[in-house]
Amino acid sequence: MNNNVYAFALKSTLDEIQGACPDVSNTFIFKDGKILAKGETTDENTANLTINAFDSITERAATMGGLETVTIQGAKGRVNITCMNDFYLTTVLSKKADEKYVNTLIQVLIPTVIKLVEKIHPISADDETLTVETEPAEEEAAEEETESTEEAENESVEEEETATTEPIEEEETPEVDDEPLLPEPPVTQLIIENLGGLLVPSDTVRIDKALITEWNDLYGDKKIEEVDLETLDGKTTRCKVKPIKNSKHKEKGIIQMPEKIQLTLEVTKGELVMVKPVIE
Amino acid sequence: MVKQKRSIHETAETVIVDDVTSSEEDHAFTDLSKNLAEIRKAEGVIGYILRSTTAATIDLKDPENIVEYAILSSQVLDSSREISELFELGDVESTLIEGKETKALCLVIGENKISIFMEKNADHADILKRFSP
Repeated sequence: MNNNVYAFALKSTLDEIQGACPDVSNTFIFKDGKILAKGETTDENTANLTINAFDSITERAATMGGLETVTIQGAKGRVNITCMNDFYLTTVLSKKADEKYVNTLIQVLIPTVIKLVEKIHPISADDETLTVETEPAEEEAAEEETESTEEAENESVEEEETATTEPIEEEETPEVDDEPLLPEPPVTQLIIENLGGLLVPSDTVRIDKALITEWNDLYGDKKIEEVDLETLDGKTTRCKVKPIKNSKHKEKGIIQMPEKIQLTLEVTKGELVMVKPVIE
Repeated sequence: MVKQKRSIHETAETVIVDDVTSSEEDHAFTDLSKNLAEIRKAEGVIGYILRSTTAATIDLKDPENIVEYAILSSQVLDSSREISELFELGDVESTLIEGKETKALCLVIGENKISIFMEKNADHADILKRFSP
């Protein structure tokens, strides 16, 4: 998930830079030989070949104490590869580009975005395979595989390589990007009431409809079907939740709980329990 | 076929390898050698490598790293040409690589390839100007 946050933030920044400076024809960011993000106009294969050429220099730059920057001045333009916060930023500029303006923009924007994203989502050790322009479903699948085996990492990289260019709009709304921005689930203390009857499911508690509505408002279209319960002794369980049917019990701060759940939590009627929604 | 004569002169600070031919391009090579010898005196300059198709001059402060510098110099020029072709930037005029401790300015002038190694604070822009036509 962090990989997607990085990729999305960096890609948006690169697109903004290219938008602000039309003389910047190509941009991409890489780390450890893998592309993290690239501008809309940059061909993935070209970027990979550039990384290979850069790595060939890096391998032989031990005498210089490691490589930080490469600037190639060609007859028609210039390529800059600069190290920024462990990432390498590549920019290709035409000859008429205002280099000072571009450099200032890049040297301010990219490190700021990297710092911001790191503050929000510190990069983890599993972040070897950073995804670029894959479809949300593919990204999720690739991430699951990445967590399990190294072999899966290679597969996800292959997926990246074969991915086609997607419109920006499609990338801006992957579900995985929204998850970290959700607020912490609120904890509500409720008094236990018995819930019994022949047709009462033993795995479902009932609470005020107003409280469920409040949670729904907080999490938008996330459907809340389960809650986590915790007693004052620290015993916890997860169960299904539905609104209280009987209007007499509404807005009384109670939770109707079947006997089975009360036994699990070792609580009885009249005791307090903390209720927290489970966000799917 | 021109017969090549090779000579190696080594001092405490300088190593020179010459492959002498009698072709006209030697004139340009000689001029560049003179220019580089002046640049070598500039503050922060560690040394240089000058190569033509038939000759090479190397002057470096630390002769024990000559091979590493020579390989790096060659790789920089090859990779720069490769990257320039990828982005259709035309002929490579110069390449600057900066490491944590030093930096190097690599140039291709005609048939001659130059790499100048210097301290990080050396003025590479001024050195580049000295090669401008």
